[in-house]
Amino acid sequence: MDDNKSAVLICTCGKQLQLGFDFLETQVKKMDLATSVDVHDLVCQEEGLPKIAELLKASSGHLVIAACSSQKIQPRIDQYLDSKGLDSSQIQYVNIREHSAWVHKDLDEANQKSVDMIRGTLARSAKSTKRNIEQKEISTHVTVIGGGIAGVESALSLSNLGYEVSLLEITDELGGHVRSLPVVAPTGKSGKEILSSRLDMLQNDNNIIIMTKTRVKYVTGEMGNFTVHYTSEDEEERTLNTSAIVLATGFKEFKPTSMDEYRYGKNPDVITQFELSCMLSEGKLTRPSDDKPIKEVVMIQCVGSRSEDYKKDCSKLCCTFAIDNSLEIIERIPDANVRIVYMDIRVPFENEMIYKESREKGVDYIRGRVSMTWEQDGTTYVRVYDSLLDKYLETPVDLLVLSAAILPPDGITELSETLGYAIEDDGHVKELYGKLRRNETRRRGVVAAGGVTRPQFVFEAVTDAQAGALIIHNELQGGKIESVSRGAVLNADDCVGCSLCAQQCPRGVPLMIEQIEDEEADEEQKILFKATIDTLNCHSCGVCQSLCPSGATQLNFLSNDQLWSEIEATLEDAGPEYPITLCFYCEECSVSTIDIVGTRKMEYPANTRLIPVPCAGRVSIIDLLKAFEHGASTVMIAACEKDRCHIGGTGNEIAQVQVDVARDILNAIGWKGERVDMFRMFSAEPERFTNAVNEMVKRAKELGPTPVHEGTAGKWMEVTE
Amino acid sequence: MSQSKPEKAFAPKRQRMLDMVLALGGLKEESAIPLSKVKEELDRLKTELAPLTDSILAFPDSYFEKFLEAVEKSNITTEISDKGILKESIANLEEALSKSESESLKGLNKLLVDTLSSMTEVEETSETSVDIDMTTTLSTISDLTSEIESITDEFENTAETEAESARDELVALVKTLNESKKKAETDAETALDELQKLGTKTRYGPGLRATAQVKRGKREGRIDDTRFHKLVIENMLTEANRGVIMFVLGKMGSKTVVQIGELMQASSQTVQNALVTMIQRGEVEMVGLDGDAPVFSKVLPKTPNPTLVLKIIVQQVRGIVKSLEDDAAKTANESLDKLQALLERLKILGAYDETELSEPMNKLRETVDSATEAALTSQTSDDTENLKLLISAGLEAFARFRLKITLEKGPNLVSGTNVYGEKLDPEFYQTMMDTYLENELERGTILILIRELGALTTHDLAERTSIPQDRILRHLLRMKRDELLTLTGESHGYMLYDVPRTPSEAEITIQTASDLALQLSEAKVELQRILRELKAPDIGNLANSLEVFSKARDKLATVYVSGAVIDETTVNEVEESIQSAVLLTYRTRAKIPSTRPKVTLEDLADVDVPSVLDEYRSQMGYAPLLGFGTIEWEQSKCLGCKSCEIECPENAIELKPRIEMPKFFEISDEALSQLPSSRSLFYKTIQNLAKGKPSKDISLEKEAPGFGSVEVDLWLCVACRTCVRRCPGPESGALELELKWNLPEVVKQITSTS
Repeated sequence: MDDNKSAVLICTCGKQLQLGFDFLETQVKKMDLATSVDVHDLVCQEEGLPKIAELLKASSGHLVIAACSSQKIQPRIDQYLDSKGLDSSQIQYVNIREHSAWVHKDLDEANQKSVDMIRGTLARSAKSTKRNIEQKEISTHVTVIGGGIAGVESALSLSNLGYEVSLLEITDELGGHVRSLPVVAPTGKSGKEILSSRLDMLQNDNNIIIMTKTRVKYVTGEMGNFTVHYTSEDEEERTLNTSAIVLATGFKEFKPTSMDEYRYGKNPDVITQFELSCMLSEGKLTRPSDDKPIKEVVMIQCVGSRSEDYKKDCSKLCCTFAIDNSLEIIERIPDANVRIVYMDIRVPFENEMIYKESREKGVDYIRGRVSMTWEQDGTTYVRVYDSLLDKYLETPVDLLVLSAAILPPDGITELSETLGYAIEDDGHVKELYGKLRRNETRRRGVVAAGGVTRPQFVFEAVTDAQAGALIIHNELQGGKIESVSRGAVLNADDCVGCSLCAQQCPRGVPLMIEQIEDEEADEEQKILFKATIDTLNCHSCGVCQSLCPSGATQLNFLSNDQLWSEIEATLEDAGPEYPITLCFYCEECSVSTIDIVGTRKMEYPANTRLIPVPCAGRVSIIDLLKAFEHGASTVMIAACEKDRCHIGGTGNEIAQVQVDVARDILNAIGWKGERVDMFRMFSAEPERFTNAVNEMVKRAKELGPTPVHEGTAGKWMEVTE
Repeated sequence: MSQSKPEKAFAPKRQRMLDMVLALGGLKEESAIPLSKVKEELDRLKTELAPLTDSILAFPDSYFEKFLEAVEKSNITTEISDKGILKESIANLEEALSKSESESLKGLNKLLVDTLSSMTEVEETSETSVDIDMTTTLSTISDLTSEIESITDEFENTAETEAESARDELVALVKTLNESKKKAETDAETALDELQKLGTKTRYGPGLRATAQVKRGKREGRIDDTRFHKLVIENMLTEANRGVIMFVLGKMGSKTVVQIGELMQASSQTVQNALVTMIQRGEVEMVGLDGDAPVFSKVLPKTPNPTLVLKIIVQQVRGIVKSLEDDAAKTANESLDKLQALLERLKILGAYDETELSEPMNKLRETVDSATEAALTSQTSDDTENLKLLISAGLEAFARFRLKITLEKGPNLVSGTNVYGEKLDPEFYQTMMDTYLENELERGTILILIRELGALTTHDLAERTSIPQDRILRHLLRMKRDELLTLTGESHGYMLYDVPRTPSEAEITIQTASDLALQLSEAKVELQRILRELKAPDIGNLANSLEVFSKARDKLATVYVSGAVIDETTVNEVEESIQSAVLLTYRTRAKIPSTRPKVTLEDLADVDVPSVLDEYRSQMGYAPLLGFGTIEWEQSKCLGCKSCEIECPENAIELKPRIEMPKFFEISDEALSQLPSSRSLFYKTIQNLAKGKPSKDISLEKEAPGFGSVEVDLWLCVACRTCVRRCPGPESGALELELKWNLPEVVKQITSTS
């Protein structure tokens, strides 16, 4: 049995696909790298799965399945083979349904495209390697930074999952903002009640160490081996070794001292909504200036929020908190008049109930803004513009409450310098990917929970914290990590120490290690480095591989040789008569976009060939140039939208650099730079892909034969300028 | 790598290092001069100096003899009231006498010692009661105020005249500026040259530097034409405007924006724009109001003392007014208003001739001091014990005022409430008052001591009081911030603090004369020693001593006693001799090698970079300069990894987003085989695809990891070789340092030969 050769299994999808399967079979049989060809009607069904197992055994792992989208069948096949104890990692998939049969009318063209892609995939399969399971043991200690509701909940959840936790709080008491909330909608319970059972559990939990008055200075290391540098009350710096970090530093309330119209900070009867919460929790509800009873209360919403000057967007919580507090005031002082001056009332979900209740109980809502606040003879007055009546109202108030904006907490920018997570424009911690990976940050092993990512209600923060704990459990696997090592593998002998991988890895996985011993021996006093990569920490985007000048770091499931031979084999028949557009597509946004194009049967020209890569960042300039060398007329990369790279945010930008430079170089060496381009897309807009493909096919036609087709490529020495 | 002709101006630290190197470089060449030649030159110098030296050496004695006579005759010592100055002068003279005998200096010293002891006696007897007739005092204050007013009027007139004379110059400047402005639209380069010339006239440093940077950037191709044009018509014109504003404020006094605009024929908007940055740069400040418009002035390095003194006087008078009633209060209030107005006017004037104001200002100060004291004693009936204690401690008068107010108001805080209804805890109030009293007491004592004894250091003060030295330092710093004290120098490593004083003309005369007497006697001794046997190593010292004579003479020619320069004939006659002697010495020095480097670089010789680089950097703020040379970059070996840029301690090396395409086609097969595999495949693939060999470089829009050209700014490079060592390129890397000057080597050579 030849180690390079693979079995090929072609699926007819229940005889539904408009392809010439006989033609495919004969063509594939002729291919050197194919050992056998089987056409099956239902590969993904019970009849088909044993066939896969049989072929897999016969071809010692090398198997190419030409069927529908691997997004659909791969999970099912993997599950089946796993249950049979078989290694499915070497199977390569060709999508002849969404990529070919469903989108091309001309049967011959669709056949040819399918044959070419199977040939390419066979080449990739020839050099695939067996899966390798790696293990490592790490400490089961997790550090939670911030002792508010999110931090407390994370600590408890992690402890329940079997981790030792250090809970670090900067103040002298746990509980954060929630401690001072008189009532938490929609439960009707006070913040203290909600906290009390959790705090009791904390106290009785031997796995949790609570450290108050503790400030984190910076953090070094990587997942599984972080070192937290912190100071306690005595200002002395100490360290703590930990495997993962939950960032739960909450938020801070905006103090509107700079907004002159409210006289906050100058008039003691003007307070913020949270300060009112504190007053209500402490039970003392009188005028702060002279302790006299309160009757007239005016609350102003959106103080600092939805303002270009302070916080651009809505702070989300303030409406609900204002209504909570106004109901609490009415309950304690039944004859109090509470008026809420608002721009829009935004009470999400079940909080709508308390809004209704407040209207019934007589809270007065005025749509408008307060233009000025002043004191006269010991009384505070406000002037309100009512935009519905188009009138100015002036009224004396005993208490003016400002619903101030919710801002990110202090210190997260400083921490980001060493913890390496990304920060949004508004200063909150950026989620790894807004739709699918909300709790993760860009740095592996660092999870953000609660208000630190965006304003959150109490119970949102609680769920967020629980989710964060599960993410960490997923990563740390109870301290004994055992997984298929799928990612970048570094061959240290080939590494020249240029540090390009460490500079550009979106998740900061490669670390540069100085080679002290070699340096001592070096005659030229060179400063020598070598990279190290923990494959278990890698997200397999291939950016390091694309940039590595020596091929030292390569993805173990898609080596340079694999991709290059796939390019060559796919383009075997490419020539000037039938110009081919080669498309590298990422297996994040682009694969689903192209699948949607397929399921919606949106037609596009068939002289296109598709090659999957884990992330656009895997495509190097050499890959692009190789495609031209082997006869492609135009080459494109399909990738995620700007700022929406699923792998830490920069894989698509690295790909963009490769495309930009390739284009400049092509122009310089007598080619047309437009032959290569990059397109961004997401699955909700399948036209983006068809538009892109149509554009590149059009260019291929218009630009005509390439210098490779004309035979002028490489003849630069004969040309004199 | 091509390097355009370097600009003369560069960073000061670099200049310092360069000086060092040039000195060493010069030495190396000099050492080639034969010894016989040196001897010949020295002999010639000796003969040439001989006729000059006698008159030079005789000059100090002759001068100070006449000086002593003049001082005795005019009796200016009685006009000295600052004991600090007197003591300093005596110390100088005594040291001068210890160097060499001089009858005249001895006499001068005795005179000063007598004056000092008589002053001390007078003070001892003058400690009498503070009973003062308030009406007379107030009228004295008002008289003195009028006197100061008329002097200030004169100041303003002088300033006006000066401004008038500057007007013509300004008209010329504005004309040039407007012409350049027009030209900038069409021919930015010529316009920039003109703006630079304008800059040398207005002497506006930041503007000149910015212009030079732009020129250099343009010449080295770092700034493209569009950007250059934009820079010239926007930034450079604004800088030129700033220069003219600086000229106006410096020569024509403080002005409002509108006034400046009129003078410059520019819109207020333009002036305003230019001013904002000048305020940020600390060049201009707002000193007052003219109607509603703020008045701006050039920031002075130091506020003149009379202005500071007047500020304190105004505070004191304000206090006195509060303690007076009826007519007295009215009169005092009038004076207060006038004094406040005066203070504003002096602030707007900025700099002026301090000596003219010193007499009336000192008198005013004395009067106000005693009035304050009187106002206090008349009021003190049965205030707290602490107040009496403070008075007996001899607290400085106005400090007592602050204290008194606090003592009166404080108890209200305990018995009543503040506007927010808060009460002060009596116990807390007690501690607060104790600390407060202690502080005020200590500060008062310090002020009294300094006022009486002249400038003192923390060390002196700690010896004289029982206050710990660190507390004294804190008080001193606090009082300095309040402008109650100024820094006047240092003694044995401690800073000297003094109250703001306005030295009188007599004081300045004595101070200058005694200072120069010391310098001259030292120089004289040195000169005599050198001339006895002139040796090559002494040539530098010879020049220095003669320079001391030259500078002292120039200064003495401006010292007046009773309106006349002393010993004027000798002073004028000796000028030529000194000048010729200095010139001859320099000429000889230029011809023979000096034997001692001006800067010792032994430390540098042992520097091993980069093992000590970080340490050196953190201590010095820059990397050690290890030599001069060029960095050669070889494109074919470069991986575009930016490691050199990241590691460079001086940010001298940079990976620019430019691809030198033609070189891709000039890499030999052997060189290709040496490259890391993917890199060489990259070049091969390009060669395989190319239809023609490109002739031009590619400019990339933004940085691209893995691609680019390395550029070195040789004016920043310290030749530490870090980039060369870090470069991961094949063989020895893509970078090579060609040292033209290896400083440590040079130093070793010099230290071993000398």
